[in-house]
Amino acid sequence: MPGRKTFISLCTAGVIGMILCAGAVTASAQDRELKVGYMKNPIQDASLDMMEKWAKGHGVKLTRVPMAYSVFMEKVTATLTSQTDQFDVIWHNDDWGQLWKKWLETTDDVKGMENADQWPLLAFWNDEKKLTVVPMAHTVGTFFYRNDLVKPEEVPKTFDELVSVSQRLQKEGKVKWGYVGGMSMNNTWFSLWWTMWSNNCDILKPLFERDNAKLAAEKFEPAVTEPCQREIVEFWWDAINTHKISPPGMTAYGRNEANAIFMSGDAAFTLVDSTHFGEFNDPKRSKIVGKVGMAPFPMGPRAQRPTSWNEIWGWAIPKGVPAERKQLAKEMLSAMMMDEAGQVEMWKKTGGPPPNVKLWPKLAADDKDFAALKHAVFDQTPITHSAYYFAEWPAVHRAYSDMAIAALSGKREDIAKVLADNVDKIHRAATGN
Amino acid sequence: MTEKTRFMLALIAPAAVAILLFQIVPILTGANASFRDWTLYDPKRTWVGTANYVHVLRDPEFLGIVLPNTFGFMAASVACALVLGLAIALMLNRRFPGRWLVQTLVLLPLMVAPVIAAIMIRWMFNDQFGVVNAALEGLGFAPITWLTQRWTAFLVILLTDVWLWTPWFALILLAGLQSLPPEPFEAAQIDAAGAWRTFRYITLPMLRPVMVVCVVIRAIDAFRTFDIVWTISGGGPARATEVFSIYAYVESFQFLNLGRGSAAAVIGAIIIVVFALLLYRLLNRLVEVSR
Repeated sequence: MPGRKTFISLCTAGVIGMILCAGAVTASAQDRELKVGYMKNPIQDASLDMMEKWAKGHGVKLTRVPMAYSVFMEKVTATLTSQTDQFDVIWHNDDWGQLWKKWLETTDDVKGMENADQWPLLAFWNDEKKLTVVPMAHTVGTFFYRNDLVKPEEVPKTFDELVSVSQRLQKEGKVKWGYVGGMSMNNTWFSLWWTMWSNNCDILKPLFERDNAKLAAEKFEPAVTEPCQREIVEFWWDAINTHKISPPGMTAYGRNEANAIFMSGDAAFTLVDSTHFGEFNDPKRSKIVGKVGMAPFPMGPRAQRPTSWNEIWGWAIPKGVPAERKQLAKEMLSAMMMDEAGQVEMWKKTGGPPPNVKLWPKLAADDKDFAALKHAVFDQTPITHSAYYFAEWPAVHRAYSDMAIAALSGKREDIAKVLADNVDKIHRAATGN
Repeated sequence: MTEKTRFMLALIAPAAVAILLFQIVPILTGANASFRDWTLYDPKRTWVGTANYVHVLRDPEFLGIVLPNTFGFMAASVACALVLGLAIALMLNRRFPGRWLVQTLVLLPLMVAPVIAAIMIRWMFNDQFGVVNAALEGLGFAPITWLTQRWTAFLVILLTDVWLWTPWFALILLAGLQSLPPEPFEAAQIDAAGAWRTFRYITLPMLRPVMVVCVVIRAIDAFRTFDIVWTISGGGPARATEVFSIYAYVESFQFLNLGRGSAAAVIGAIIIVVFALLLYRLLNRLVEVSR
C-alpha cells in the first residue's frame, strides 16, 4: 500500500521536523535567558528586581529559581562541581566563599566593582587573587535597643552597663528581659560571638588572623582556654542565671525565638543582622514599631573601642556557564551595581545596606535610619571577620557551639574545665581529623 | 520464555527500573563514596580504603552519644506508641456512642507532616510563649526550659514521635483485633474469664504476629528518624539528643564530607539490618512459644 507508506513517512518526517524546530527555538530562547539560583528572601528579591529591570530593557528573560536555605549550599555545590550550566547566576555568601572559589568565574572586570567595600571581599578571592563575587547587600550585626525605654545617651557602652541598664528596666517593670539573642548552633553570632569579639577575643590563634597559611603555621591552635574566652562564657552564664537579664531558655534559641521576644516588647536589647530592622518595624508582626534604635556594640572589659562585623551577600557566576551567557550575566550584575535608585529602594524596602559604598554618605544624609546604622556599624572598625574561610569552618563552628552550650548548661565553676576539655575537639575539627 | 512470563516481566519492569535508579544506584554510589576522599566542594574521589569507617567508629561522640541516643529513642518510642496504640485499639474495638468520631480524631496526627508537627511542638514547649509552660504556671508549677537540658529535650522529641505514631499502631492493631476469630472469646466468656485474663491469655497471644510486624517496621523507621529531632532540637543542646541520621546528615551536608557521611550511613544500615533480623527472630520466637 504505497499510500499508507507515504503517509507514515510524511508523519515521521513531520515529527522529526517539529522536534528539530522545537530544539532550535529552545536553543535560541536559552541564549537570551538567564537563570538565577537564590534563596527566597526580601533582600535577594529586591536585588533581583534591579536585574529584572535591566533584563527587560535588554530583551533577556530572567528566570528566578528559589531554593530553601537548608538545601541551597548543598544543591548548588553539587551543581558547580558537576560543571553543568543549570544556573547562570547564583547567590554567594562569605561562609562558603572559599569552598566555591575554583568553580566560579572571576568578577574583577564587572563594572561597578570599584564602588564595593573591599573589607568584606576577603572570603571571595581565588588562588589567582581574582574575585569571584559581586556584592548584593551588606550583612552586618547590629545592636538594637528600645528607644522608647532607653535614651541614646543611656544606651549601654559596656557589658557591665548592659547588665545594669537591663536590671533597671526589669525592676521598673518595663521589660521582662534585658537582652535576648539567638545562641543555638548557627546563631552563635547573636550572643557568644559578638561578645567574644567585643572582648578582644577569637576562636583560633593567632587571634583575629584570617590568613589560612598563618593559621596553619600555628597548627590551628584553639584560643578557647584564653582568659578572654572564659570571661565571655561566664558573662552569659551570669546573664542567664545570676543577673537574670536573659531568658533561661536562651541557649536553645534561634533567631526566630529571640526576635519574637524582642518584637513582642518583652526585651530591651538584641543583636541580629541589620536586615531584621524592617521586620521589627512591620506593624503586622511587631509591637515595637518605631521604637527601635541602633547603637555600636557594648564593649567587654578587654576592649578599647567598639567592634562590628561587616560582611556581604553576593552574586556569582558558575564557571560551567557558556561564555556568551557569562558575559550577559556580568552586564546584568554590573547594571545592578550601578543602579543607585534600585539600591536605595532595596534599603528602604528591606533594610539591606547598598553594595555601592559611595551611596552611603548621601543615603545617611537623607535617611535617619541609615545614618543610625552607619554610626552603629559602618563607622566602627571590625576587629576581624565574622567567620573563618577554610573548608573545615562549619565543623569548627559546631565544635565551638557544642562546647559553649555545654559550658552554659553546667555549673559556673566547671566552665574553665569544659573549655579546656574541648580544645582537642576544636583542633580536630579545624584540621579535619 | 513464554508469552505469560514476558507479560509478567513487562508488568514488573517499571517498578524494577524505578527501584534500580532511585534505590539501588544511590545506595551503591553512597557505598562507593564511603571508601573515597569525597568532599562535596572538591570531590577528588581518591580511594582511601576504610579510613572513613575507622574515623566514624573511633569517634567518641558516635559511640558514646549518637548510638545510645538512637537505640534509646527507638526503644522508648516504639514501646510507648505500641502500648498506647494497643490501648486505643482495644477501646475502639468496643461499641460505644460516638465511636466513629473518636476513630477520626485518633487518626488526625497521621495526617500531619512530621516537620509541621515538630515546629508546632517546638513553639508549644517554648519557655516564653509556649502553651505547656502557661499551663504549668496556671497550675502553680515553675516553668521549665524544655530544650536546654538533655532529658527534657529528649522527652519533647519522644512525645512528638509517640503522638505522631500511636495512631498508626492503633489502626493496624485494630484491624488485627477485628480479624480475630470470635470462638476463643466466647469460650472464655462461658468459662467466666475476667477481662484481664481474656486479654492476657487470648487477645495478646493471638495479636502477637501483628504486633511483631508493627514493632519491626516501626523500629527500623525510628532508627532513621531525622525530621522531628532536627526541627525540635537540632541534636542539641550540645549534641545531647543527636541521633544516627543527624550525625550522617551533618557530616555529609554541613561539613560537606560525603565520604565520611556515607560511611556513617553504611554503618547505620548494617546495624539496623542486623538489629532488625535479631528483633524479628526474637519476636517470632516469642510468638511461637506463646502458641
